[in-house]
Amino acid sequence: MATRSTPSFWVFFGLLVLVHFLLHIGLGLGNSAPDLLTVALLLGVRRVRGSVAAVIGLLLGLLNDSLSISSFGADAITLTLLGYVAARSRDLFEGDSLLFVAGYLFLGKWLHDLGYWALARDTARPDFLGQFLLHWPLTALYAAGVGIVALLIFRAATGEK
Amino acid sequence: MLDFDGSRKARRREAAISLAVLLCAFALFLLPTAYQTSIRQAIRGTILRPFLSAQAVLAVRRASSLDVTVLRAQRDSLIAVVSAQATLAEENRRLRELQGLRARGGAAFVTAEVLRLGVGPAESTFMLNVGTADGVQVNSPVVAPEGLLGIVVEATEHTAQAKDWTHKDFKASAMTSDGKAYGMVESRRGRSREEDLLALVNAGFHTDIQPGALVVTTGRGNVIPRGIPLGVILGIEEADTGWRKNYLLQPAVRPEAVTHVLVGIGPPHNDLSQFWHNTPSDSALRAAGRTPVRTAPRADRLTTTTGQL
Repeated sequence: MATRSTPSFWVFFGLLVLVHFLLHIGLGLGNSAPDLLTVALLLGVRRVRGSVAAVIGLLLGLLNDSLSISSFGADAITLTLLGYVAARSRDLFEGDSLLFVAGYLFLGKWLHDLGYWALARDTARPDFLGQFLLHWPLTALYAAGVGIVALLIFRAATGEK
Repeated sequence: MLDFDGSRKARRREAAISLAVLLCAFALFLLPTAYQTSIRQAIRGTILRPFLSAQAVLAVRRASSLDVTVLRAQRDSLIAVVSAQATLAEENRRLRELQGLRARGGAAFVTAEVLRLGVGPAESTFMLNVGTADGVQVNSPVVAPEGLLGIVVEATEHTAQAKDWTHKDFKASAMTSDGKAYGMVESRRGRSREEDLLALVNAGFHTDIQPGALVVTTGRGNVIPRGIPLGVILGIEEADTGWRKNYLLQPAVRPEAVTHVLVGIGPPHNDLSQFWHNTPSDSALRAAGRTPVRTAPRADRLTTTTGQL
């Protein structure tokens, strides 16, 4: 995955965040819309330092948390941690292929759901295994798929890798 | 050892800054609710405001596209209700005057549209397009034609956020409509949101509530008015050794199906059972596998009545 930070990429990043809230709040689609906020974070933090990634995670998490009445801050913590870890993951693995990006997005989203579940006080459902093995992988797959499509559009429009 | 930043020192600095950011996130998580509310409302009133407004506009458009025959039926129903209630109200006023009783505050509602917050952290909550300017306040009951949907937890001037009965903190003092059994109603989470149910907990061990019995609010605590349907009994959940029984309820209202509601702005000590006649709502009865027996759906009155009931 490219690690070069360009203005066009940050426009793409902003669009992902915008579309996320448009789908989830503006149109009220709920779970039928993909989690583009996590996708934007995962794609964006590969191009910045760990500390900047943590700040981006905190800000995006706060946006999401502003709609929560009993778990305020849970998503901020989750996305801060995820942002930092994802930024540092550049040291461990690097790749541009779509398969790599898909796997990275899938894993990131899965970890996000797990982290949020551990912290949140209003979403803990009794069937943890069902969530962990079925629901979260499916939502992660959905987010990764949409993330790949968005990235392909971005690459086609800008010629960036 | 060098890393991509150039030095080990730079990496440590990065880690230290990241740790500070993480501590900030934890501080936000642990803040007292009052401070969290201020931050939440500030973000919702600025950055997220366009998105919330967009959904409010969509909700209004959706409402205006309702079938005119439905509206006509609701109008006719409203006229019938208003005529009947005017007579009853007058009769009630005269009787109270004869007995030297002061007039009771009427039940008052404002109509509102339900705005969905389709993000994970907002699960089991929804926004309303009415606020303190309309008389809505924290703990105002949110009522659908079939029964109680939830309670307002935050109110600003023109919007309010409410939790529905699937929220883990939802609790309501409840009783069977015949008044023979009392307890608390709370949510029981299913594997998915559609499988969520309610439970009547801590009912007396001597009580034997039959499946299909309607459970309504008691009005205790002066938060939720008395007589609002919560659901119908499905069966016993458990009988513990502490001489208490828990029953599972088929909820009267499915949150995912509700688009328009009434928000109570009257005094919480009112008895609203007259609006439902204490019979199980059709949807709740059908869900429990029973046939509705009512010929005139009382709850339809609520959907057509705005302002003072």
